Amino acid sequence: MKILVTVKRVPDPDMKVRVNAEGTGIVEDNMKFVINPFDEIAVEEGLRIKEKKGEGEVVIVAIGPSVVQEQIRAALAMGADRGIHVDVDSYPDPLNTAKLLKAVAEKEAPNIVIMGKQAVDDDYGQAGQMLAAMLGWAQATFAYKVEIADDNSKATVTREVDGGLETIEIDLPAVVTADLRLNEPRYASLPGIMKAKTKPMDVFKPADLGVELSPVLELVRMEEPPPRKGGIIVETVDELLDKLRNEAKVI
Amino acid sequence: MALDFELSEEQKLLKKTARDVIKQFEPKRDELREKVMKRKEFPQEVWDALAQAGFFGSFLPPEYGGTGMGLLAMAFAVEEMSALGFGNALIILTTMDALCILKNGTEELKKRFLPKIADGTYKFCFAVTEADAGTNTCRIKTRAEKKNGYYVINGSKTFITGADVADYMLLVTRTISYKEVVEKGLPKAYGLSLFIVDTKSKGITLHALPTRGIEGMNQFTVFFDNVEVPAENLVGDENAGSMALFKALNPERILAAASAVGLSEYCLNIAVNYAQERKVFRDTPIGQYQAIQHPLAEVKIHQEAVRLLTYKAAWAYDKELPPVEVGAYTNMAKYLGAELAIMAVDKAIETLGGNGFSEDYGLAHLWEVVRLLRTAPISKEMILNYISEHVLGLPRSY
Ligand SMILES: Cc1cc2nc3c(=O)[nH]c(=O)nc-3n(C[C@H](O)[C@H](O)[C@H](O)COP(=O)(O)OP(=O)(O)OC[C@H]3O[C@@H](n4cnc5c(N)ncnc54)[C@H](O)[C@@H]3O)c2cc1C
Repeated sequence: MKILVTVKRVPDPDMKVRVNAEGTGIVEDNMKFVINPFDEIAVEEGLRIKEKKGEGEVVIVAIGPSVVQEQIRAALAMGADRGIHVDVDSYPDPLNTAKLLKAVAEKEAPNIVIMGKQAVDDDYGQAGQMLAAMLGWAQATFAYKVEIADDNSKATVTREVDGGLETIEIDLPAVVTADLRLNEPRYASLPGIMKAKTKPMDVFKPADLGVELSPVLELVRMEEPPPRKGGIIVETVDELLDKLRNEAKVI
Repeated sequence: MALDFELSEEQKLLKKTARDVIKQFEPKRDELREKVMKRKEFPQEVWDALAQAGFFGSFLPPEYGGTGMGLLAMAFAVEEMSALGFGNALIILTTMDALCILKNGTEELKKRFLPKIADGTYKFCFAVTEADAGTNTCRIKTRAEKKNGYYVINGSKTFITGADVADYMLLVTRTISYKEVVEKGLPKAYGLSLFIVDTKSKGITLHALPTRGIEGMNQFTVFFDNVEVPAENLVGDENAGSMALFKALNPERILAAASAVGLSEYCLNIAVNYAQERKVFRDTPIGQYQAIQHPLAEVKIHQEAVRLLTYKAAWAYDKELPPVEVGAYTNMAKYLGAELAIMAVDKAIETLGGNGFSEDYGLAHLWEVVRLLRTAPISKEMILNYISEHVLGLPRSY
C-alpha cells in the first residue's frame, strides 16, 4: 500500500496574523510556520492505514520554497517514510498545485492520495477536487472515517456533509481529503525526530516533473477584516426580530 | 564564523513536540490545577506523556535508551512547558540526577538506572540541604559508613522536594566527617560521597514541611536511621564526591533558568491579552497606555537576554567546556532568570489590577514560585560570590 500525503506550510493558526503595510501579504517576521492542521490529520491517517495494514509506505509531498522541507521533516518525524519537495519560489494557486501534484502522483503511482480538505492560510479548499478530476480518479472529500478494503481495491469513506454524515464506497486509487474529526494527529516523538534526519527526501523543480506553471489567480490586495463591533442587548423578542429582519437582513 | 543562533530542524521540531505534548492537557487545565495545587497530587499523566514523547531520554545517549540531544533539548522542553503554565520540579531534579549518574557512575549503575529514567519509570529527588548546612555543603553531617558490602547511613536532610513521589534519591553524604577533614588539614570539600538511595528503604522516614514555592509538591525533612545502601550505589569515587556534586548542580540551575524564561512568556501572554481587551477610560484598551506597555516591553527584552544566556549555558554544558566557564554562564542565567521571572509576574499583576490576585487568572500563585527562584536552588548572593571570585578573580569574601 503506497500512500501519498500532501502537506502545506502555513502560519501557525495559534498566532495572530497581520497583513503587511503594502497589502501584498502577511507579516512573516516572528511568525511560526507549521503543517496545515488538516494536512497533519492527513499524515496521521496515512500512518494509521499503514499501521493497520502492517505494510506500506507513506510518502510526503510539499510544494513551495526550500523552507517547506521543515514541514516535510516534521511529517517524517511523525513516522512517514520519505519526502518529496517540489521546489517553487512561492505557493501556487490551487489549479497549479493540482497540476504539480498530478505529475507527482503519476510518478509515484500511489494507491491513495490523502490531503487536507483545505489549507488554513488561503482557505481555497479546491486542490483535492481538482487533482482527482485531472487524474480521473475517484474522490472522497471531507473524510470523517476511512476504511481500505483488504485487497486495496476500494475504500469506504464516511464524509461530513451539510446536516450529517454520508458514507460512500470508491475505487482506488483515489483522492481523499481529511476533515477535522477524522483523527487526532500524534506528535513527533524525540526518537522519531532523530530518525527523520536520515529519511530520504527528493527535490524536483516543476520542469523535472514536466509541468509548466501558468498562474490563473492574481492577488490584488490583502486587507484585515474590519474589527468586530461591540454587541448590543435587545429588550424584547420583537426588537430582536425587527433587527434581524431590517438591520442584519438575515431573516 | 561559527556563531549561529538559528535553531536546527530537530530543535524546532522538539520545541513543537514539547508544546503539542503539553497542549493536550489544556482542556483539562482547571482539573489539573485543582489536583496539583489544591490536592498536591503528582500529575502522573503529564509525566507519562513527556516520557512517551521521549523527553527523559533526550539528554541521554542512545546506549542508555536516549536520543543524545543534550541538556539543551531538556531546556527547550522545560521552557515550552513553563510558557504554557505547567511547571514540574521533579523533571528538573530527575534530569540533574540522571546526568550526574551518566557523568560519574559506574557502567553497572548507568545500565541499571538510566534506561529506566529515559522511559519515565524512575523519578528522582535530590538531597543535599541539612538544617545546619544550607549554602555551605561542606558542613553536612549525614554520615555513610562502609560495612560488609553496604554503606550505613545516618543523619537527616531537609527541604527535600518530592521525596514522597520519587523512587530514588541522589543523596550527598560525608564518608569522612567535616571535623576530621579540618583537623587533618584536608580540603574542606574532601570526604563527600554521593549515593543513589531507594526512597522506600528501611530506616527512612519523611516529615512534610509547611513550605511554599514549588507548585503542588511538598518538601520534607528526611531522617536516615541506619539505612543500608548497597556499596555499588556509590556514584563516583568515595570521598571525592564534591567535584561530581558541583558539576551536577549546573543542570538544575540551567533548567531553573529555562523555566524562568518560559514562565515570563506565560505571564506576558496573560498580560498582553488582558491589556488588549480591558477598557477603563473611554474606549481605550489599557494596553494603549505606555504605563502598561513599557513594563511589558521591558520584560520581553529581559526575557530574550535570559533565553540567550540559558541556551549558552546549556550549550557550554553539552560541549563540556571548562568547569568555570560552564559555571559562569549557568550561574548568570540562573541569576537573571530569577530576576526576570519575578519582574514578569510583578508586571503582569500590575496589568491585571485586582484580577492579578484572582486565582481565575493564573498569576497570583506564581508570586511564591518566582520568588523562590531567587533563593533556591542557589541563592542570588552565592551566585554573586561565585562570579566575583571565579570570573572576576576577586578575593573570596567568606
Ligand atoms: C521550596 C524549597 C525547595 C527546596 N528543595 C530542595 C531539594 O529538593 N533538595 C535540597 O537539597 N534542598 C532543597 N532546598 C533547599 C535550598 O536549596 C536552600 O534553602 C538554599 O540553597 C539556601 O540554603 P539555606 O536555606 O540553608 O540558607 P542559608 O545558607 O542559611 O543562607 C541564608 C541567607 O544567607 C545568605 N548567605 C549565606 N552565606 C553567604 C555568604 N557567604 N555571602 C553572602 N550571603 C550569604 C544566603 O544567600 C541566604 O540569603 C529547597 C528549598 C526550598 C525553600
